[in-house]
Amino acid sequence: MEESNGFSYPGLYEIVFMKAEKFINTVLNWGRSNSLWPLTFGTSCCAIEMMTFGATKVDSDRLGVLFTGDSPRQSDLILVSGTITKKMARRLLNVYEQMPDPKYVIAVGACNVSGGLYHDSYNTIEGIDRIMPVDAFIPGCPPRPEEFLDAVRVLQKLIKENKSKAQKNGNIRQA
Amino acid sequence: MVTLDKLKSGFKGELEVLTEEPKLSIIRIKNKKLIKKVAWQIKEEFDILYALSVVDYTPVFELNYIFSNYRNADSLVLKVNIDEKDFSIDSITDTFNSANWEEREAYDLFGIKFNGHPDLRRILLPEDWPGHPLRKDFKVDDEIRNWTGLDLKF
Repeated sequence: MEESNGFSYPGLYEIVFMKAEKFINTVLNWGRSNSLWPLTFGTSCCAIEMMTFGATKVDSDRLGVLFTGDSPRQSDLILVSGTITKKMARRLLNVYEQMPDPKYVIAVGACNVSGGLYHDSYNTIEGIDRIMPVDAFIPGCPPRPEEFLDAVRVLQKLIKENKSKAQKNGNIRQA
Repeated sequence: MVTLDKLKSGFKGELEVLTEEPKLSIIRIKNKKLIKKVAWQIKEEFDILYALSVVDYTPVFELNYIFSNYRNADSLVLKVNIDEKDFSIDSITDTFNSANWEEREAYDLFGIKFNGHPDLRRILLPEDWPGHPLRKDFKVDDEIRNWTGLDLKF
């Protein structure tokens, strides 16, 4: 059934296929968002708060963020905490490129949001969104561990709504 | 100090003693070509070079070699001036091993060439960094601030 303006209604097969695709993607995203294994990339003081985030009081495990040994090969999420200098930026990208897709990035602290204290320095990356796609930013110098929980909640919401940077850039396998 | 007396008698006219105290002496040599010989003399009493600092009094740059020893923690500061016309000095790496990285740092941040250094590369900044940032004539402009040295695809 075709109308004059080129719009066509989907047939039965397409409806079933679209519904199934949507359903499978929902299930996949549910799984991805609830098992975010982080890779810790701590270069300075924000890393101390990141340790607290993984410890008992602010329990990251209840959100599925398990600190299971630092290897980029088994991680979904990289927590970049601490000032990134221009020399370190290459090492950071080197680690980031070893992570399997889909991969998500959380920028922790003022230095990674905008350069922070060192914003007019000659040797600081003023916000890591200049060098890699960032899903969630945590401001603060350093941020409280509770704000990590908030950032993970935001990231989970983005993944469930198919809005994370990994999905937008297309380097993620859809059903 | 024994070494200081030796230096004073050995380098007459070239060496100027600014401070002479039991724990800290400060000397200055006028000719930078003597640095290797002076360092060799200093090695007799002082074991380590624990800092090399550079001060930018444009057009003259002042190098401060700070020596110490393990026996009684005496210190000796050796000052040498170099000017912008001949922006190089002999390396003392073969006398004091710790001078290796100190001189690389001075090369990295001030652009001073050390003749005879075994491995004169940048130590703190990336290899392809433009300029030497601790010099007074270095300006941090937008081009420097936006420089990453990466070609990014995302």
